[in-house]
Amino acid sequence: MIKLQNVEKVYRTSSIETLALNNINLDVKKGEFVSIMGPSGCGKSTLLNIIGLLDAPSKGIIEIDGRKVERFNDKEIAPLRNKMLGFIFQSFHLINDLSVIDNVEIPLLYRSTNAKQRRELAEEALEKVGLANRMKHFPKQLSGGQKQRVAIARAIVGKPEIILADEPTGNLDSAMGNEIINILQSLNEDGATIVMVTHDDAMAKRTHRLIRLFDGTQVL
Amino acid sequence: MLRHLFKLIWNKKGAHSLLIIEIWASFMVLFGVLSLIVFNVSNYVEPIGFEYQNVWNVDLASNQDTVEVGGKLERILQRIRSYQNVESASRMSSNTPFSANQMNNSITYKKTSALADHYNTDTDFSKTIDLPMLTGRWYNETDLVSKFIPIVINKKLQEKLFLDENPLGKVIRVDEKVSYKVVGTVDKFKAKGEFMSDNPAMFQMIQKDDSWNSNILIKTKPGTDANFEARLVKDIATMLPGWGIEVSYLTESRKNRHNLTLVPVSIFLIISGFLLTNVALGLFGILNLSIARRKNEIGLRRAMGATEGKVTGQFLGEIWVLATLSMVVGLVFSVQFPLLNVFDIASSIYVTAMIAAVIIIFLIVTLCAWYPSRQASRIHPAVALHEE
Ligand SMILES: Nc1ncnc2c1ncn2[C@@H]1O[C@H](COP(=O)(O)OP(=O)(O)OP(=O)(O)O)[C@@H](O)[C@H]1O
Ligand SMILES: [Mg+2]
Repeated sequence: MIKLQNVEKVYRTSSIETLALNNINLDVKKGEFVSIMGPSGCGKSTLLNIIGLLDAPSKGIIEIDGRKVERFNDKEIAPLRNKMLGFIFQSFHLINDLSVIDNVEIPLLYRSTNAKQRRELAEEALEKVGLANRMKHFPKQLSGGQKQRVAIARAIVGKPEIILADEPTGNLDSAMGNEIINILQSLNEDGATIVMVTHDDAMAKRTHRLIRLFDGTQVL
Repeated sequence: MLRHLFKLIWNKKGAHSLLIIEIWASFMVLFGVLSLIVFNVSNYVEPIGFEYQNVWNVDLASNQDTVEVGGKLERILQRIRSYQNVESASRMSSNTPFSANQMNNSITYKKTSALADHYNTDTDFSKTIDLPMLTGRWYNETDLVSKFIPIVINKKLQEKLFLDENPLGKVIRVDEKVSYKVVGTVDKFKAKGEFMSDNPAMFQMIQKDDSWNSNILIKTKPGTDANFEARLVKDIATMLPGWGIEVSYLTESRKNRHNLTLVPVSIFLIISGFLLTNVALGLFGILNLSIARRKNEIGLRRAMGATEGKVTGQFLGEIWVLATLSMVVGLVFSVQFPLLNVFDIASSIYVTAMIAAVIIIFLIVTLCAWYPSRQASRIHPAVALHEE
């Protein structure tokens, strides 16, 4: 499902050059639930961004669902992000000026679905994360766990095959965190391929496979 | 997508109200300026209706001379007509073409009243300034025996007073002693020049022995120069010792008259130009800032599959919706001018000004929003999401 070959990422600023990822090779099968761990600054987010086509690698090959992504051309990768990938971020990234349901509908705005379909799909996704009763609320009126569940609903509303989560429980207490992992696990059981960055060993243990990074290099 | 935009805007209405007021205010300023421009331009393209080339205006002042002034004026007119260089000459009241003087009267026919510019002229006036007849004839010597004062009216006055009736031969009673009789109509007489609107006007025949109307318009033959002017002034001075004599060319008076219109309009234009530039810069600043503050949202939307174009389009769409709202309010205000007929200007002028103002505002907001939107949409999604 996800294949990385000899991927390298170098951040260049005028004065410094950071090798964030060094020769990464990765093969995530369809339906796998993989976690990425490693100390702060080792390149986990960078790796996830590259898998999610949010950032271009400096070197190497990326394959998503058998498709080689070579040219990072906006018009070509935008539909790929829209249809194949769902993102969950540590800091939720909800739009505060939009209600819960409008936030969840966002990915559907960038494909051809009409307003009625959007509403139905968004309601369905919110039901899955147990927030059907908070649709008209605004993000500011929600707890952290609820916000993250909205973000999950938004990630799954377009029924992507791959879900990428960057420390989805990082801003939550353990009870809330557990709830989130439960949701991710059930999504995985429904067939989604999931890659999750985490700092929590207990969370990582509940996934199929663990990838460890150290200083931009894969150590496990 | 439009619904999404409306929601986004509605939920931020507090932050947007200032922007709406700003766009509304610029719309009103623009509407005012454009009304003025459209008014002047639409006047300008209408012909003035007469010929001023080679026409001179001799302004005579009898000063202390009170003896037989009417007879002297008549003799001077005859003398002027006798020159080789003169094609035609005609006496007129002091509101000569392009002069600053103005005379108007309310005139009533069958309970319909109209305010008309009032000119006293003689039988040769239409010939002297090539004022063509529309219907009827210009007054002549035979009219002197009539008990009515012959008048010629322009089309505007005809429309206001007589509507669809034929005005020729109609008698207009002014008071017990004076009544006018319409003997002819002319099309236009924009005495103040191109920028004047086509006002209702009437011409009244100067009576024998009249001593008031002491301007003489002279149509000279082409090529007549200042030598003739000098000779003319000298001859008149000999005939009328102690009188004031002033000769001016209508071509010159017309230029001066135009400046009187163009200078204030230009100043007004420059000031509003500055004002609009300021508004545009302010708008650019506000949009630049507000879009920069929304980097997270941009990153997020890109991550969810929005192309750069969609992001740019969203921001442009938002400002268009805001501009439309502002201008709907602006139109409610501006439409009052034609509805209440505030300045007695044709509605079409206001409508043209409104349409032009709407287009210009859309252009300005698009220009102001396009650059920051484009810039913002181009940031890498990973970078945009990284910035908190
Ligand atoms: N935009 C950037 N420009 C320059 N350097 C960057 C940029 N983003 C990340 N880096 C560097 O790349 C390295 C990896 O960063 P990354 O964010 O992937 O770490 P991480 O493993 O996610 O850390 P954490 O656990 O704290 O989130 C770090 O050394 C960081 O300083
Ligand atoms: Mg990170």
